[in-house]
Amino acid sequence: MKLRLQRPSLGFYILMIWVFLATGFSVPLLPATVSAAELSASTSLADVAVTGNEAASSSEVAVSQNEPNPEPSAVSDTTGDESSPIDADNPSIDDLEAEDELDAADENQNNGNGPQITDPIEPFNRAMYQFNDKLYFWVLKPVATGYNKVLPKVVRVSVKNFFTNLAFPIRFVSSLLQADFSGTATETGRFFINSIWGIAGFIDLASMEGVNLPKQDADLGQTFGLWGVGQGFYIVWPFWGPSSPRDTFGSVGEYFLYPVSYLSPWYASTGVKTYEIINDTSLRIGDYEALIGAAIDPYIAIRDAYVQYRHQKIEKKRQKLWSSGTEEKKTIQ
Amino acid sequence: MKKNIVLSILLSVILLCAPAYAGIPLETVKINVNKVLEVLRDPALKSPAKQDIKKEKLRQLYFDMFDELELAKRSLSRNWKKLNAVQQNEFIHLFHQILENTYAERILSYQNEKISFDKESMLTPTQAEVYTRINRPAGEVPINYRLILVNGNWKVYDVVIENVSLVQNYRTQFNDILSKQTPDKLLEILRKKVKTQK
Repeated sequence: MKLRLQRPSLGFYILMIWVFLATGFSVPLLPATVSAAELSASTSLADVAVTGNEAASSSEVAVSQNEPNPEPSAVSDTTGDESSPIDADNPSIDDLEAEDELDAADENQNNGNGPQITDPIEPFNRAMYQFNDKLYFWVLKPVATGYNKVLPKVVRVSVKNFFTNLAFPIRFVSSLLQADFSGTATETGRFFINSIWGIAGFIDLASMEGVNLPKQDADLGQTFGLWGVGQGFYIVWPFWGPSSPRDTFGSVGEYFLYPVSYLSPWYASTGVKTYEIINDTSLRIGDYEALIGAAIDPYIAIRDAYVQYRHQKIEKKRQKLWSSGTEEKKTIQ
Repeated sequence: MKKNIVLSILLSVILLCAPAYAGIPLETVKINVNKVLEVLRDPALKSPAKQDIKKEKLRQLYFDMFDELELAKRSLSRNWKKLNAVQQNEFIHLFHQILENTYAERILSYQNEKISFDKESMLTPTQAEVYTRINRPAGEVPINYRLILVNGNWKVYDVVIENVSLVQNYRTQFNDILSKQTPDKLLEILRKKVKTQK
């Protein structure tokens, strides 16, 4: 069996030239960009918090506009108490009558009633969920546990870093398509630092203090979401798990952006990807167990976790990209 | 160049001042989490025989840190009213059991991962969100605590792990169950769940 990479296409060369040009600008500036990156890291953290606050207050307005009933009733409930009118917005446990208000205040943090997804093919999805569940407990977990015992954690983390570095084109192209140019530059800088000095990506030097080029949270499904594409309905794929039409298209695109997909013959590529999954799983054994262990209906719990996770991923990016104008003023608050 | 120096001085001033402004919610979470870590690291409690003492200590810390009623009410949301007082009490108890049975093991398996307490943001004057991160081998996991001011104390009413709100997750499940079943049936499901966990 001969392992070889297929001849890259024209698009790949264009990409490489772009990367070269982009890093040509960012690498010489590295000492300067460290402080810049530090600055952006600290502000982006503040940003998330502030915009979270903003989201809460803006939807609070929306709630009070859409549901006029809970507002006055709650105010009348609490005016007799010592609590100030402000407290009427935030139910304490004493206000047992202010149930509707509790809903309103709670929901405004979750953007309305929290993100939901329609599930028209629930019977199929439940069957697929069962399949994946068995796959995890009967195959993946035993294999990953065995693998766990053979290789020390340091090695497994390095392997994970290597694959993360290899998936650079996904994050790079996604950031670019999101017009997130600082993210694109960060990814490019990361890729070169980790590929060259991080021994082909086994060491994630770029994330360390002093360099501070953290991995960008960018994928294609998220990109489509930012473009305004709706998530559609819930679908559970065998082997791949929870998804939606939007994320499925994203995954297909990512297949072509992931270098491992171009390994030939096909079973080499599948083998490497399977190995990656085993390595990843070995680092997070117990997570899935906890999720379904705590769940009353594991299928619904996972569906909701998936929707919340994807929703927040898009929202956070949106806040990062579109709130830069007002961020400075708010950070002071 | 001059601009850079000014900027970096400004930046370091801001960064150095930041801890002084850390508010009470952040401090509350920090103190509580550190107490939990103390119990977990206590060499006197290392042996498996002491596991129960450890769990009892953690349970006390849980009561200090969390507001069970708020947690239960918010998880049921509108459906809270559908339960009578007795049912509500049983619900709080069962809900606590399920959370404890699941998460006690997870917390006990803590392996000295680094936790950083990043910042807090006020959602409303009496509600705050505290941002923390735990550095795990599989990657950094953001954990946010949502707190509410009750009788002068900041208590946790929701935990958001990797963007997934615990309360929201339960609310979706309870909504789904209660759209088809009675509150009695829900309690029965919870009772069964607690039994299978043991």
